[in-house]
Amino acid sequence: MSEATSFLLTFLREAWIALAGAFLAFALLAGIAQILRVSSAGLIGANLWVWESVSALAAIILLGLFAYLGVPQIVGALGSALPNGGGCGPISELGTLASGLIGGLAALRMLKATFTSILSASLGGASTFANALTECGEALFGMILAGAAIPLAAFFLGTC
Amino acid sequence: MFQPIMDQILTIARDAWAFLAGLLIVVALLGGLYYVLQGTAGAAFGGSRMTSMAIIGAVGLVILVLFAFLFLPQVGEMLKSFQPKPPF
Repeated sequence: MSEATSFLLTFLREAWIALAGAFLAFALLAGIAQILRVSSAGLIGANLWVWESVSALAAIILLGLFAYLGVPQIVGALGSALPNGGGCGPISELGTLASGLIGGLAALRMLKATFTSILSASLGGASTFANALTECGEALFGMILAGAAIPLAAFFLGTC
Repeated sequence: MFQPIMDQILTIARDAWAFLAGLLIVVALLGGLYYVLQGTAGAAFGGSRMTSMAIIGAVGLVILVLFAFLFLPQVGEMLKSFQPKPPF
């Protein structure tokens, strides 16, 4: 079981590193796309377009800071709060596997949500900052629910 | 495991960056030309507001291009230094 946990967590860690790298690349692309939009909108006198792009640029920087500084802190805090499974035997090992996987998947989901927003902004669309935050909230809520479910499952199935 | 995919994505992103930077230069040059034309025309028939707006526009355009080429790479470096390790 521990080998499976370590294999899955290694896979998720590699996915995290790849997603974080791609996030940076697309954040920069989104930034230059929005600046191009500002300059072209300024030339044709489209004030609203300029303000949209300026706010999108601010949202990109905020999203970058949130993804790189906020998400790891949130996941770290919730991961340390997740119970590692009570009881003994296979249920305890399953609890450890589950808490590790829940933390990893929630972290990846949050990063994926911010990445999707950045990708949308780099393609010239709206940065959908609110959608990213909503998805992060869903992942957090899922982690909290799982944190409550693991000890319950251990209590009913694996107490000894 | 994800490294070959990342390499492909980064190659595409580098190409896209070069394309967008080139496009920005073209737009900025066209904009500069437009503002010069506007300023000259304003100065020719005494439209002082037109001339001053053209000068402000040209200065704004230069600031925007400088912002794109100096500030964005710095933001990238900053974010790169913040790049988090997996928190799990």
